[in-house]
Parts: sequence; structure tokens; C-alpha cells
Amino acid sequence: MGLRQKILDSRLYRDFIQRKATGPLRTYYDVPPADPERSVMETEFIALDLETTGLDPKKDEIVSLGWVIIRQLSVDFSSCEHILVRPTKELSESSVVVHRIFDSDVADAPSIEAALEHLLPQMAGRVLLSHHAPIELGFLGQACKQFFGAPLQIPTVDTLVLALRDIRRSGETMKSGALRLDTLRRNHNLPPFRAHNALSDAIAASGLFLAQIAKRDPKGELELDRILR
Amino acid sequence: MSIELEEIAEFLKQHHPFDLLPDEEINALPKRLSARYFRAGTKVLSPQEQCLHLYIIRTGGTETRDPNGQLLARLSEGECFGVRAMYQNGRAANNITTLEDSLCYLLPEKDFHALTGKYPQFSYFFAQMGGERLRSGMQLLESRDDDQLKLMSVKVSDLIARELVSIDKSASILEAGQLMSKERVSCLLITEGGDGVAGIMTDRDLRNRVIAKGRSYDEPVTAIMTEKPISIDPDQYAFDALLTMTRNNIRHLPVMKDGKAVGMITTNNLLARQSLSAVYMAGRIGKLTEPEEMAKVIAQVPELLSHLIEAGATSQNAGHIVTTLSDAATARLLQLAEEEFGPPPVPYVWMAGGSQGRQEQTALSDQDNCLIMDDAYNADQHGDYFKKLADFVCDGLNKVGYVYCPGEMMARTDEWRQPVRTWQHYFNKWIEQPEPKSLMLCSVWFDLRPVHGTKSLFEDLHRMIISKAKDNRIFQAYMVGNALSHHVPLGFFKNFVMIRGGEHDKTLDLKHNGVVPIVDVARIHALANGVEAVNTYERLNAVKAFPSISNQGASDLLDAFEFISITRLKHQVRQIRRGEKPDNFLQPESLSAFERSHLKDAFSVIKNLQGALEHAFGKSGT
Repeated sequence: MGLRQKILDSRLYRDFIQRKATGPLRTYYDVPPADPERSVMETEFIALDLETTGLDPKKDEIVSLGWVIIRQLSVDFSSCEHILVRPTKELSESSVVVHRIFDSDVADAPSIEAALEHLLPQMAGRVLLSHHAPIELGFLGQACKQFFGAPLQIPTVDTLVLALRDIRRSGETMKSGALRLDTLRRNHNLPPFRAHNALSDAIAASGLFLAQIAKRDPKGELELDRILR
Repeated sequence: MSIELEEIAEFLKQHHPFDLLPDEEINALPKRLSARYFRAGTKVLSPQEQCLHLYIIRTGGTETRDPNGQLLARLSEGECFGVRAMYQNGRAANNITTLEDSLCYLLPEKDFHALTGKYPQFSYFFAQMGGERLRSGMQLLESRDDDQLKLMSVKVSDLIARELVSIDKSASILEAGQLMSKERVSCLLITEGGDGVAGIMTDRDLRNRVIAKGRSYDEPVTAIMTEKPISIDPDQYAFDALLTMTRNNIRHLPVMKDGKAVGMITTNNLLARQSLSAVYMAGRIGKLTEPEEMAKVIAQVPELLSHLIEAGATSQNAGHIVTTLSDAATARLLQLAEEEFGPPPVPYVWMAGGSQGRQEQTALSDQDNCLIMDDAYNADQHGDYFKKLADFVCDGLNKVGYVYCPGEMMARTDEWRQPVRTWQHYFNKWIEQPEPKSLMLCSVWFDLRPVHGTKSLFEDLHRMIISKAKDNRIFQAYMVGNALSHHVPLGFFKNFVMIRGGEHDKTLDLKHNGVVPIVDVARIHALANGVEAVNTYERLNAVKAFPSISNQGASDLLDAFEFISITRLKHQVRQIRRGEKPDNFLQPESLSAFERSHLKDAFSVIKNLQGALEHAFGKSGT
């Protein structure tokens, strides 16, 4: 972990941004963050996936969010949520092709601000779980700054990073596509999934995460700290 | 509902007993589930451990062992464990260990009980497994067990069909596999020190634990065998064996006497018992003298059919066995007629046509038959005798339960009680000068099989029919025209086209729109290629060798035939179990999504091969 990241993740910095935060982000910071010394079994995770119009949080927008909560290393399907977001600009053709979300689908959808008001309480006290987390962190962080006056700080586990560590530890050479969610799931004897909906991707990542933890420690007693990014 | 949750619902719909739940219930189910993942070799549950969920295996597999380490069951995708805990205050009864990396869906106890409370068929499935209501399950099984099917009176030792095939535990996987292949067995007993039992190995183990795992064939069999298999004593009853296998979800059961293996029984052995009971029924018919008495035996055919289907018989098995009983009743009535009217003045042969001829009868059958007399027949001298004989048998069959053929295609009709020369004339005319009316008769008279009497009378006639039909392209084209008049109930978008209105609103006629078209296609290929068989399976297998149909096409059609036939039989068995009169009208909603999609595939196979038929033979007449 770089020095800059250490500072950004520090308690001090958190206290600092908490004072600047407004609205639902303020409430989010009122809940203490997940304790990195607790076991994974005792930690709650929110597996989250975003679909966006592009890769640049400064230019591009979130079009949908999907999440599911993991408690006691069990994916709770009753907590599933899937929200379409009304973008401020017209959807580009390439984004429509990738996500199959059309302008007409999102005409009556909530704004990103409203969506975050719903999401942030779900994230409070939990660990963010995502496959390639920089996208989620980048877009949510940008939105938080824009609407609620402060960046987003959240302990995060990235299934892609865990997979990368597994491959490095095994000493095998990396094959192309080896870090793709569907490849990784297949390697852990998880069922195939149909991608391209934020929720289905979030659920797919949550299954992979359970498998990755089971491989490290079937009882889930390892400390959260050891798997944080 | 999101795509992912829809996938979970689809998964559940494909697995028993969840397929018994209505769609709205099953679609609401994923939201109540959670998912957990276990590495291979993880102990998921131990006896007395708290278990507040029913576990449904999504991927992977588990092993259930009782507290003494005795193997009880091996479960795989779509199967459930933790059932006993649902009925024992949330305490697990057995050890559950994963054999592979496994993802499980967990259904909370209260949701499980809400479902079992609401849906009796769902509840029945688990109650039996859970043992909570085993007693009532036993009673139910017993009440099904009529006088003919005395599983209770047959000893396990009587079920052992062949010498035990076993191998010493020092053998390699390769050697074990080779032995299984050579002996054509699906299961091998692994022994130690001569006849001590070390374990058991099945073809499923070869698939799941060797091939799928990329394991070396040089490893010892002990690496993949199941230790301490559950076994049964030779002095126990067949019923116990069936119960043991059903309860533990296993297909092979070693028979042990004083710690030594003496044999192996499989579900197939038990199936053979079911057909044996048919042999017993046929034997009984042969001793009776009154049609009313025979009717009582034949009245048990629906019950027999249900047993057969539930024991896993194919539709071909079932058709064959059920037809055996019609043949027995026919032959017995002919014997009685000869006793009453004296020996026949000239030789004759009684022929079965239609489904009895093809040996494809089901729970409901009317009679199709005819009589062929020797050419020495003289109507003035002998006509009266054969009329009395035919009336006696046809009336008798009607009383026994095989109702009169609505088309009067029976030996009691003068036209269908004729000497060989007249039959030759008939067939000549039908083949040489086909017309729509005569083609209607083909489906019955081109599927003839001798049942009783001088069978050689039919042989010459049969040869003539085969050789004439083989060479006549015009006749073939007419047959095709007739065959294509039976439409498959599939719309342009592969949706079911159902019957509308009337008594059978929103149903599919599995006989006329499923079975009959395949029978027709098989008949044409058989006749055009000089194949003598009349059974549809035999016909389709025989025509694979000829160019009029592709090997793949014939195989696909065989699969489609089996699937549609068994779906029809299961539908009839459900009706029988509900105390209804069996019919051919199926509501597609009563099937699981998986079965529905299979049925659509089967129908499209027929549609394709009907098209190919027209291409190969042309089409005329209709």
C-alpha cells in the first residue's frame, strides 16, 4: 500500500472529511467503519457493482447500481437491490450496446443523488466488495464529492486483487482472461452466470468471494485486515 | 426480478420437488435464500449441530453418513440436505461432508415449513426423506402393493441376478474400470482379504471422481471408492431393499451375510421384479375361465403401469409388459373358444394390429385385431365357426376391458375375418391403388403381429406386403401424405399450439400430435426399406442403416419418441394416482419448465423429420 493510500485510509483523514460531509454522507460517517482486526466471519460486506457510460469518473456517469449484503459469509438474497439511474446526458450508443439500458428505461429513474441516499446507509459500517474496485470507488467518490461535499472512505476488498494474489502464490503463469469473473467462478466450481446487469455481477462477485475465503480459511476466522486491498 | 434471481428460480424449477411448486411461489423463493460456499472435504453439518436451514446443492456434491460413519447417501446438484433437522427441532441428524467444492442455497426453516404446510406434494417428498412421517409413507407404499406385487414376499436373496463382480482393493482405477466394462456392470465391490468388504465403486464415481477431476488411472481404487457402503441382509425383503435405496438415494446395494458380500442388487433388479409380477398376472389370466374374472386382473394394469413408471421403466419396457397382458387375455379367450366350439376346422392365426401389434399399449387401449384363415377355408362350411370364435373373443376382450374398436377393425367384422388369399388381395389393392380411405387402415393393418394360432399363415403374407411396399413409390408418397396430416403442436415461435375450448381446453394431445406422428414416420421408413419389424423402436433402430433417414435423424426420433411416450405415461400415472380415468390430454403447465422445453425440442425433432420425409419420398393424396 502506498503512503498516499495509507493517509487516505487513515482515521485522521476520516475525521477530517467527516466534518466536511453533508446529507447522507454525513450520516454514513456517523457509523464507525468495519474493524480490520475482526474476523471475516464477523464482518458484513456489501458486494456492489456499477454500470457506467465509460471509465472516467470525471466525464462518465453511473447508469445502474446493484448490490447484495454478505453476513457471516452467507450471501443474503433478500438484501438484493438493483437501481437504474437517470443520467444527466443522453446515453451514448456504445453504452447502450454494452448495458442494454436505453434512455426510455431511465427516463423515470431516480437521479444519482437520490440513488446514493439509498445506497450510503447500506454501506455504513460494512466493507465494500467488488471485482475491480477502482471503478466503484472512483465513481462513488466523485459523486460523493459532487453532491455531499466530501470524498468516500470505505474499507474495500477487491476479488480481482485476491485472485491475483492466488495466482502469484501458486507460481503459475497468468493466462489471458484468467482474472475475468466468469473464468474465476468456473475455477471455483461456481455455476455459470449471465453477466451485464449490475446486480448479477455483484452477486457473481459475492459467490467468488465466498470461494476465495473458503480457500484461505474454511472457518472464516482470518482477520479482515489480511484481505483488504 | 433481476436476471440473477431469475436464474436461481429457473434452477429450482428444474429440480424435484421444487418443480412441484406453482410459478408464483418459486419466483418468490430466491429472495428468501442465502448462499454459502464449502470447499471439498468440509464438514458442513454434524449430528446434533444446530441447523436452521434446508440446504439445496447448487454446484458440487456431498456425502451423508450416520453418526457411526455408515454411508447413507451421496447428493449432487439440485438435491437437498438438512431435511431431518427440519423435522427434529433444528438439530442435524447426520454428518454432511462436501465431496467437491460446493455452492449451496439455504432456505430458512420457517419458509420451508410454510411451503410444506401449503403444498402436500412438496411436503410428501420431504416427509419421507425426513423419516418424520415414515410410518405413513410405509403405509402408502403398502397400500399400493396389491396382491400381484408382493415385494413384501420376495427375499433379497431372490433378487441377486448374477455372480458378484468384485476386485481387490490393491487394484488400480484402470483395472477396476476395465473389469466393469468387461463384465458390463455399473458397480464394483472392492474387497479386502478375500471376501471382506472394503468399499464400493460406481460408474458415477468414475465420472465424478476420476474423469472430472483429471485423476490418474494408476491411482488405487481405494482413492475413489466409497468406504463402509450401506448394505442389506439376504433374508430381508425386496421391499426393504427398495425402501433403503429410495430413502438413501442410492442405486446399488451390496448384499452381506455374516460380514461377507454375497451379491449386489440394483434398482434394475427391482424393476425386473415389477415385470415378473406382470408375468405372474399373465400366468393367472391363463388359468381363468370367465372374462369377468380376467377383467379383475386386467383392471390392475393401471396400477402395474404406475409401479413400472415409478420404478424407472422406459416407455418401451412398459409398452412391452402391458401388451404381454393383452396377448395373454387374447390367447386365453381363444383357448376357451376352442374348448366351447371345438377345434378349428382349418388352421387360423389371430393377429393383433395397432398399438397391441406394435407392443406399445398403455393404460387405455381399445382392441384392433383380425383373423387370417388357411386358404382351405370355405365360407359356407367354416364361416359359422370362425364367426362364433371371433364374436366370443371380441366380446370377451370388451368385457375384460379392451373396448370395441370404434372403427370396427376387429375380427368380428366379416371383412377382417378372411383367408390368406383375400388378405393378399386386400394388401395388393391398398399398395397398388392407394386411396385416402385405405390409407386410414394402414396404421392398423401394417402393424400386424401374430398372437395365437398357426403363425406361419402370416409369414408368407408378411413377406408379400414387405416386398410390395418396398418397391412402390406411389404408395410411399401416399403414406407420407397421410403421415403429414398429423400436425405437431408447435407454433412458428416454438410455442405450444394447444387445443382450444371443449373438454380438453388448453391441453396437448400427446397421442395424436406426438406419438402417432412418430409411429407414422417410423412405419414409412420401415416399409420403404423392407424392414419387417413393427415395434416403433425396432423400426427406427433398423432404418438407421438405410439412406432414407440419417442415422442422427433416427436417433433423434428415438429420443423424442421415448420422451413423449414417457411424458404421456407419467401423465396417465398421475391421473391413475388421483383416481381419475387416464387420458392423453396434458396441460403443459403441469410440467416443469425443463420438461416443457424438452417437449418442445421433441416436437421440433418430429417436425424436422416430417419435412425430411416429404423430401425423401414425395407426398401425394391429401
